[in-house]
This record gives sequence, structure tokens and C-alpha cells, in this order.
Amino acid sequence: MSILYDEGQEAIANESARILEARVNKARQLELLEMVGEYDETFWHTAVEQGWTALAIGEEYGGLGLGLVELGLVAQAAGAIISGAPFLTSGYGVAHAIETLGTDEIRANWLPGLAAGQFRAAVCFAENNSPLPMRPLVSSSEDRLSGRKPAVTGGIKADLALVYASIDGGPALVLAPLDATRRTAVASFDNSRLFADIDFDGTPCHLLVSGEDARRLALDVLARMAVVTAHEQVGGAQTLLTTARDYALTRKAFGQPIGAFQSVKHRIAELYGQLEIARANCINAASKAGQEGFLVAAADARLSATEAYDTAARDCVQIHGGIGVTWEQGLHLHMRRTRSLASEQGNMLFWEDLLVDELTGVAA
Amino acid sequence: MSNLDDYRIEARNWLASMAGMFGCEARHGLSHEDDLALGREYMRARHDAGFSGINWPVEFGGQGLSHIEKVVFETEEMQFGMPVGYFGISLGMPVPILMRYGLGENGEHLPWVKERVLRALRGEEIWCQLFSEPAGGSDLAGLRTRAETDGNGWRLNGQKLWTSWAQYSDYGVIIARTDPTVAKHNGLTYFWVDMKAAGVEVRPIKLAGGDSHVNEVFFDDVRLEDSQRMSPVGGGFAVAMATLMIERYVATDSGGFGPHLDLFIDLMRRLEVNERPALGDGRVRSAIARNHAMRAGLDSITTRAMLMLQAGMEPGPEGALNKLVSVRSRQKLSELAIDLMGADGLQFDPSASQKQDWGSSWINSPTGRIAGGADEMLLNTIAERILGLPQDHRPDKGVAFNQIPA
Ligand SMILES: Cc1cc2nc3c(=O)[nH]c(=O)nc-3n(C[C@H](O)[C@H](O)[C@H](O)COP(=O)(O)OP(=O)(O)OC[C@H]3O[C@@H](n4cnc5c(N)ncnc54)[C@H](O)[C@@H]3O)c2cc1C
Repeated sequence: MSILYDEGQEAIANESARILEARVNKARQLELLEMVGEYDETFWHTAVEQGWTALAIGEEYGGLGLGLVELGLVAQAAGAIISGAPFLTSGYGVAHAIETLGTDEIRANWLPGLAAGQFRAAVCFAENNSPLPMRPLVSSSEDRLSGRKPAVTGGIKADLALVYASIDGGPALVLAPLDATRRTAVASFDNSRLFADIDFDGTPCHLLVSGEDARRLALDVLARMAVVTAHEQVGGAQTLLTTARDYALTRKAFGQPIGAFQSVKHRIAELYGQLEIARANCINAASKAGQEGFLVAAADARLSATEAYDTAARDCVQIHGGIGVTWEQGLHLHMRRTRSLASEQGNMLFWEDLLVDELTGVAA
Repeated sequence: MSNLDDYRIEARNWLASMAGMFGCEARHGLSHEDDLALGREYMRARHDAGFSGINWPVEFGGQGLSHIEKVVFETEEMQFGMPVGYFGISLGMPVPILMRYGLGENGEHLPWVKERVLRALRGEEIWCQLFSEPAGGSDLAGLRTRAETDGNGWRLNGQKLWTSWAQYSDYGVIIARTDPTVAKHNGLTYFWVDMKAAGVEVRPIKLAGGDSHVNEVFFDDVRLEDSQRMSPVGGGFAVAMATLMIERYVATDSGGFGPHLDLFIDLMRRLEVNERPALGDGRVRSAIARNHAMRAGLDSITTRAMLMLQAGMEPGPEGALNKLVSVRSRQKLSELAIDLMGADGLQFDPSASQKQDWGSSWINSPTGRIAGGADEMLLNTIAERILGLPQDHRPDKGVAFNQIPA
């Protein structure tokens, strides 16, 4: 696949940015920060209405048959205004797992509903602080699941989960409806991510794959979600860069715009470098999904996009001075989102190790 | 697309067939003079084979292809360590600028220019670029070398500094002050100069890494004909800028023209940290991962730029990041490699290749952060040209040159 966007892809990028800008409301975003277990339904309704939930699902299941490149562009637009519903990313991960591993029956049961936005899906891989534990404590038999998955993104509102669990001492990927589980919302700095601890207690489930394949496929799903997230981070970083630049042009001190001071100006120029490197890695990774070298490309995107977004949030606040740390001004919406996105698909040490595993064949 | 692939293969095959005669190994241990002689031979062979002046007009001895083919060839050639360094500046800037600004008002100098271009392409003559001076580096327009009218010509006095390959050069392009009473950018004029003329003295400067390819060049009453003038009187700065921009698309290297990351990984495979395998060490892994992510991003920017050129589109400005980001990382990675090698890291071979050897890469990396635009100037360019941020405060703005406090 080419790494130049075609006209259709450009249109998706522009259209999603236009719609989201018109609909997302900062006052509402700020209010939601202090409400545990709530999020802005506007994004979800928009995603369903615009077919974003269907983007990367096959046409035979009611999807649009597009892929990670297109989804990445929507995620970038969502990241630019911090609107991203967690389900854009996790729904894609779960649908991809079902499409790859599910029986005809499983696919028919879930994919059309996921495409149509009838179900919301969450991904439960991490335990404690491990993004993909070697021996998951959550365990499964053929059809029952037990144990706790902590701080699952989207967990409080999801209907269905893809769970990384142990079965007969080895790893497995299973699918579990969440209606019968006990869920406890986690109070967080970024509450609209809908984090929840999920307790499975003999929950009915369906085995998708077990053994070595399970780990390999879980990594693939994680990498795909990391690439979606990286696009979201690039969108956020771009907004922060522009915001910092605009402020540096208007705010004056010592008789000149602060953007004329090199410590400010060079900070923004350095940020531009990080952003463009991350963007290029995202484009490359999205085009490599399903091909050799995808894990490497995804790790490159994950590392550079997290670095760019984190730096952007830090520097943009700094360049704003006092106004940058006010509730009202809202830069902390991005600050908060940098940490939730940095944690959700696994911390940087995990990705550094994964990348080096792939490059050298030597495990940490 | 497939045409370009064919071109790449053709180039690589030719380069491979020449590598034994001209490549890294053939050059190892040669004196400068012998290496330059080998370089001249290579340039002749390269021109005969049709891989020189790739994007230059056929009437000047070029191939009449696009800069895409040029970049493809340069990217391939870079991997063989051919003796092309002596000719890089010559063919990169002065000679192309001569073709554009040296023809005379009515093209009267065309035959002379054609001869120079052909000889330069074949490695028989070398041109240098005499811009920087003690008082004019980043602030090029601060230069002090003077050209004063002398009958129907000019008389040149002053000193240039950092002139690469001046000691081997036959000609140079030079920018000099012709009017000190106007603002600094407005009093400059652009000429070409015969490096063998009376009054030109070249003194090599030994650099930190041990080699002496840059020079001080002194001009003592050197006579210039008015026909050597390549800009309007007072209009030299614009031609100087055109010179620096003429090669918009050049082969880039996300390794900052130092060793490839694979060489670092290979080294780490053999080393231990605290008596455990280095590749198992989290700090080493972090360095590898971060450098990979950065270089992969730069590579992807380059690949996209090439695809855009092929599609007839204008690549984005992000190509400007390459040198800034890659050379800094090369510097740090080289430091780490040397340190982790322990006793072996202390061994130093000043003639080793910067692309193969960590010591050589390290000692020469500061050059890459200064020559061709210092890091800070590149950051200014990105901030001002790409992001629209304001210029720095410049106390000398609009002030007549001779009124600026020295
Ligand atoms: C190996 C080598 C080969 C070269 N070859 C040639 C050649 O062939 N022809 C030629 O004409 N020149 C050549 N140069 C010169 C080169 O272009 C200059 O060295 C370069 O432009 C920097 O100028 P300077 O050395 O005077 O440093 P200065 O301009 O004095 O810079 C010193 C420091 O001050 C910083 N600085 C300067 N201005 C600013 C500013 N506005 N804001 C922030 N920081 C600033 C710089 O970034 C740098 O860190 C070569 C240099 C080297 C090292």
C-alpha cells in the first residue's frame, strides 16, 4: 500500500475534522472530567452516523472494508480535539480479532452489530502494570471466565470484551459479553475514558485461540490499536503545536512577541520535528498492517507519537505561562489525555523492548 | 515507478562493478594526493558511464534526467564510499550556479562555461565556494572581504575561512563587499575567481579529526575582470542564497552520515554490560529503540518526498528536519558506542570511515552540526519559514554596514 494518501483518504481526514470541530464542546469536556463513568455520547453517535465504527470491518459484515489508514485519519481528527471515544480504538481491535479468528457464527453474531454501532467493545489485555502479561491471572475454561481485569478502557459502558486470559497454563484470547460482569468505575484524571475494573466470575465466554498463536495475535491487535492511538496522539500534538505557535505570535513580553525569543521559538521548532517524525511513522505503520515488519513499524509509531504528544503538552502549557494552567483554558484536557493514551496501549518500556525483540531476536 | 527501479538497479550494478577499483577498500591507506587522483579517475569513469550531471542539461554534458534519478544514484553511491568528496561542493553548488548566472548578459560566455562544466564533471577541475569568513558565518552578510572598482574591473582584498577543498580548486565562487555604506545585505556582489591567480594564497586548516580539507584563503589585490561578475553590483546576496538553495533535493541519510543503526546492534551483540549481554540491558535497548523510531520517521519522510516528486507534487517542508535531527543523534550514539566498547573504544584510526567507525563518526560529528547551517540556524529557519514565527531581534537591521559596531 502506498504511503501517500489518495483523494478518498484526504476526504475522510477533512470531513471527520470538520464534523468533529462543529460538534465537540469544550465546556462539556471539562464538566465530564469530574464525572466518573460518564463520557460524551456526541462522539459515539457521530462515529456511528458517519460509519467510522464500520470503517475497518469487511463489507460482508456490513462494514466499509477499509483499513487502518482510514481509521487512523479519523483517529487523528478525533485526537486533534480530544474527542476520541475509547471505542473507536478498542472496537477496531475487537472486530479485527473476531474477523481474523472467529467462526462464521461468531462473526455473524458480532460484526454487523459492531459495524452498526449497536455494540461497544473493550479490550482486556493488561493486568497490574503489564500491558500483555506472560501469565494472565484471569483464567478461562472453554466457556467460562474468571478473575479481574483492572482499569479497562471503555469498561464501564462496553457490551463485549476481548480478553487475554490463561487456559490450561497457556495464553488464550476469548470473547465475553459484559452484561453479567461486576464492573466498578475507576476515578481517574481522564474520566471520559470510562476506565473500569471488570470482575469475571464464571462469565460465559467463547474461546477464539489459545497457545502461542494467542500471544502473537494479541500482540498484533495491540499493535493495531497502538497505531490508531498514535494517530490520535499526532492529532493532539498538532493542535498543541498550532496553539503554542499562535499564542507565541500574540503574547508580548519585553517589547516583542514571546515567539521572537529563541528559547520559545526553538522549543516550537523542535516540537515540529518530533511531530513530523511521529506523523511519518504513523503513515508508514498504517500502510504496513498485516505485512511483514508491521510490529516494528507500529512500535516506531507508538514511541515517537507518545514522545511528540507528551512533549507538546508540556511545552504548550509552558509557553502559555499562568493562563496555561487554568481549568478554564483547558490545556489540561490534552495533558490528561497524553497520560491516558500513553498508558492504554502499554508503557514505553514495553514498546522499546518489543521493538528491540523484533530487531535483534534477543529478548529483554 | 518501475522505470525508477530499473534505474536504481542499473546504477547499483555499475557501482558494484566499480567498487573494487574505487570503493572503501581500494582507498584505505592512500595519501590525499593518491586518493584525489583516484577520485579524478572515478569521476571520468562515472561521466563516461552516464551517471554524472544526472539532472543537468545534455548540452552541458549532463544526462537531462530529473532530480529523482539524481537522488536515487547518490543514495546508492553513498553506500560504496567512492572518492567523490573532493567534488561534492564543486558539482553541488558553484558549477550549477555558473550554468545559471555565469553565461553573460547575451550568453557570450557560454562556450567557456561549457568547457568548465565538462571539466568539472570529469573531475579535471574543481570549484570551491568562498562564502564564510572570520566575520561572516551564520551571519553571512557580515562578511568583510572587499572588491573595489579598478578601471573596468575589480580588485579583491580580504580573507575567506572554512573553504572546503580550496587547496585543490581551480576556480571558486566568491561573495565580496562592494559598498560598505549601505545595509549589510545590499552592499555585496558575487564573482567567480581563478584560484591560481596572482595574490591568492591558500592555507589548510587542520580539523579536530586530523584532516585538513578546509582552508583559509587570502586575497591580496587580486584582479577580477568585470566579466567575472555573476550578479548585479550590490545584488550578490540573492545569488548567494540561490547558491545555497540550488540543490533542493539531495540524498539524505537518517544516520546523519554516520554508521547505520545495524552496526550499533551488531556491536551490542558482541558486547557485555556489567558482564551480562548488552542487548539484554534496558538502557542499551532504549537507545536502540529510540534511535530506530527517529530514523524510521526520517526515512519515511524521505520515501514520501520521493513518491511526491514522482507524482509531480511538491514535497512538504519536513524534509528540512533530516540534518538537524540525524546528526545530533549520530553524535550521541557514537559516544555511547565508544563508551561501551571500553578499552577497544579508545583505539583510534583517524583515516577510518565515518560511516563504519564509531571513533571517526564521533570526532567528526560536530562538523555536521555546524557546516551547511548550524543547528540553531536550522531551528530558526524551521520556526520562521515553516511555522511563521517572528525573526530574532536584529540590532544591525537597516544600519549601514560601516556603522555597525565591530
Ligand atoms: C568542515 C566545514 C566545512 C565548511 N566548508 C565551507 C565551504 O566550503 N565554504 C564556505 O563558505 N563555508 C564553509 N564552512 C563554513 C560554515 O558554513 C560555517 O562554519 C557556518 O555557517 C557557521 O559559521 P561560523 O563557523 O562562523 O559560526 P558562527 O556563525 O559564529 O556560530 C557560532 C555559534 O553561534 C550560533 N549562532 C549564530 N547566529 C545565531 C543566531 N542568530 N541565533 C542563535 N545562534 C546563533 C551558531 O548556531 C553557533 O552555534 C564550513 C565549515 C566547516 C566546519
